Amino acid sequence: MAALRTILYLLVYPGVLFLFAYSTFCEWFDRKAYARLQNRMGPTHTGKFGLLQPIADFVKLLAKEDVVPAAADKGLFAVLPAIALAVVSTAGLLLPVWNFDLARPTWTSFPGDIIVILYLLSLPTLILFLAAWSSTNLFSTIGGARVLTMLFGYEVPLFLAVLSPAILADSWRLAEIAAFYQARPAYLLFNLLGFLVALVAVQAKLERTPFDIPHAETEIVGGTFTEYSGKKLALFRLAFDIELVVASGLLAAVFLGGFPGGAVVGFAHFAVKTLFIVFLLSLLRALTSRIRVDQVVSFSWKVLAPLAVLQLLAAILLKGFLP
Amino acid sequence: MSFEIPIGPQHPALKEPISLRMTVEGEVITNADIRLGYNHRGIEKVAEEKNWTQNIYLAERICGICSHSHATCYVQGVEKLMELQPPRRGLYIRYLVSELERVHSHLLWLGVAGHEAGFDSFFMYVWRDREIVMDLLEMITGNRVHYAINAIGGVRRDLDAGQKAKVLEGVATLKKRSEYYLNLGGTEPSFVARIAGVGRLSRELAIALCATGPTARASGVARDVRKEDPYAVYDELDFEICTADTCDVLGRVVVRIKELLESYKMIEQMVRNLPAGDIACKAPRKAKPGEVVSRYEAPRGENIHYIRANGTDRPERLKVRAPTLGNYPATVEMLKKGFIADIPLIFAAIDPCICCAERAVALIDARGGETAVVRMSDLRRQAIARHLNAPVKGNAAWPL
Amino acid sequence: MKIAVFLPELLRHLFKKPATVDYPFEKLEVPPDFRGTPYLDPDMCIVCKACERDCPAEAIVITDVNPAEKRFRMVIHNDRCIHCAQCVDSCPTNPKAMRMDSLHEIAADDRHKLKAEWVYVRAVLKPKAAAPAAPAAPPRAGEKAS
Repeated sequence: MAALRTILYLLVYPGVLFLFAYSTFCEWFDRKAYARLQNRMGPTHTGKFGLLQPIADFVKLLAKEDVVPAAADKGLFAVLPAIALAVVSTAGLLLPVWNFDLARPTWTSFPGDIIVILYLLSLPTLILFLAAWSSTNLFSTIGGARVLTMLFGYEVPLFLAVLSPAILADSWRLAEIAAFYQARPAYLLFNLLGFLVALVAVQAKLERTPFDIPHAETEIVGGTFTEYSGKKLALFRLAFDIELVVASGLLAAVFLGGFPGGAVVGFAHFAVKTLFIVFLLSLLRALTSRIRVDQVVSFSWKVLAPLAVLQLLAAILLKGFLP
Repeated sequence: MSFEIPIGPQHPALKEPISLRMTVEGEVITNADIRLGYNHRGIEKVAEEKNWTQNIYLAERICGICSHSHATCYVQGVEKLMELQPPRRGLYIRYLVSELERVHSHLLWLGVAGHEAGFDSFFMYVWRDREIVMDLLEMITGNRVHYAINAIGGVRRDLDAGQKAKVLEGVATLKKRSEYYLNLGGTEPSFVARIAGVGRLSRELAIALCATGPTARASGVARDVRKEDPYAVYDELDFEICTADTCDVLGRVVVRIKELLESYKMIEQMVRNLPAGDIACKAPRKAKPGEVVSRYEAPRGENIHYIRANGTDRPERLKVRAPTLGNYPATVEMLKKGFIADIPLIFAAIDPCICCAERAVALIDARGGETAVVRMSDLRRQAIARHLNAPVKGNAAWPL
Repeated sequence: MKIAVFLPELLRHLFKKPATVDYPFEKLEVPPDFRGTPYLDPDMCIVCKACERDCPAEAIVITDVNPAEKRFRMVIHNDRCIHCAQCVDSCPTNPKAMRMDSLHEIAADDRHKLKAEWVYVRAVLKPKAAAPAAPAAPPRAGEKAS
């Protein structure tokens, strides 16, 4: 019975099936919001309001011819998309939506899961670099180098910003951090600066404008994905969609007070809060133009990192003064 | 570690075939090379087979964006050859369409610049507003792209009071929007960070390399055929040459938006002072032997048509110099010392129209200096032979 | 330095109707003088061949069918037509034998389907002849009028 529950947990809810459905919905929401901000329609005709468009895109890519370059490292090239998908789906299991029982730590909710989720969210970046490197394309190589260069920029501010609420809450467990802020909603205001820093850093992690540098099509064609096609590209795109869900779920858990109220109400909280964050990310995407990779690094270290440190300092000081 | 990356002939940043070979070190370009000749059109040869009237439409099809520029430049030349004096009303309508075309071309370019910088919202908004001028052009001429308003000796369609009111109304809206974009393009930090100081072309270099149009004007060279050699109605209009002295892509954006504002001013003047009378005079079918050079300030720069007549109803020679050709040497210079990320922006900033500039390819013997003609059958035979003798393809060489 | 300069404009449009038209499902109006597809009014054509001579795309071909009856065939190759309406300008009759309609969705899967053909007897117009009462409706591609 426990084995069956685990399998259901992994495959249906909140595992693969749910994440697939919800991440495609988030992609639809992102595309629709982006389009409406630009006075366009966005997906309209596939399903009601074009809701099925991301799924149709996914299926279309699955059906496309899958080309592997002759010079590529074939094993690595083929296995990386699956690993990326597995990594971000695993990260999805750690969100405190489906494991809200505070008293009983389980294997998806334990002290230190915030570190694990951040680690799992960092992995896709390295996978992208490996994917670019293994495809041996010139544009991919440049894209891969840009992926890593950017990683050194945004990763530190993201970690600092996400961990400072945890310091204030005195816990490394997501569910406990969320519960701490549910009990003291006013403290969320102290973390506003960290929220903004994390939002920008997550935008960079997800490689969306203004940080879509590794696959800037007008500069380096498809960048990291230049040689990817068919099923592998589909998996990568899905991995990015799930990463969007997980990252916004993480921000919601840490900065927006988590998802209180049990399975149903908690899920409603999850949906509203993640969609709010996805909307903010879409807004940021619509608002800016792509910047250069050197500008990303200098922006990260000159603006984001000091702000994140400021947030961390504020958290530590507050912790000393407040009961 | 330096290696060469090919931008083009097929690349998402380029809408037309041209090859830019960049030697890069990391993200920095150390050397740039430009290769032309991917697009042979044979338009100049076709022009020798068609009569004066047919060639208007042929010249119009040299370019899809500045179609009216080429047609007008050609028609100006032919009118000079035939010693025709088109009626004032016809000229006003012709150059009204010219200015509307400049508006549409600059707005198009502005959107493309936004897109190349990854600023897609800007792109979408600019192109949405460009629809206003496209609709005006469609209303006046009957088509959105190839206006076909020119005839030898005037224009083909008149403008009525309702259309005049609509033009004024549309221009008033566009003026407001353009002022907004001038403000936005100059202040949005992520966009300014991408275009300020990028693709520098000093005033001296711009003159030495014969840059034309907004590229030259953004380097502080106040050159504009409309002012220097005013043709037709331009000496009656009140306008200024827009320049910028920042010498970079930001300057080119600013110059183009300011030119938009000047164009609105001219359109209003032309619509308000539209003279009464005929719109065209009767043109003869044949032109006397002679030759003429016609200059025209196209949205991208100076457009030159050279026409030679031999007394028949068709030209003996039509030579077209599109403005993009004049800007190639400057582009190579601007690309050097830039970043890979700047390539699309710098290249787009000259508003390249590669198909306008590409002409015939002449095969000249390197030793003898003789021009050769290669027949289609020869080309085919050579291609097959080359295919058969080609070495077996190995793995692509990876530079690292 | 300002940040988020574009924000008010973006948010203002968030709940506005999109500017795009849902084109194939929602048709656009063309202006009244739109240069669509050329067609012939065979009752007016005096076979002066001015349109054939001036057509830049060589899309108009006029051939003899029966010289004794003065019967001609005109074919308009709409696959070659560049919709410049020079044929209308060149047409010397009044009212014009060559006209443009506003059809613009004329794509077909085969270029031969785009041919329009008329077989007709040459019209003899008295100088300053009165116009026929009603202009003919635009004939469809391939329709033959005699």
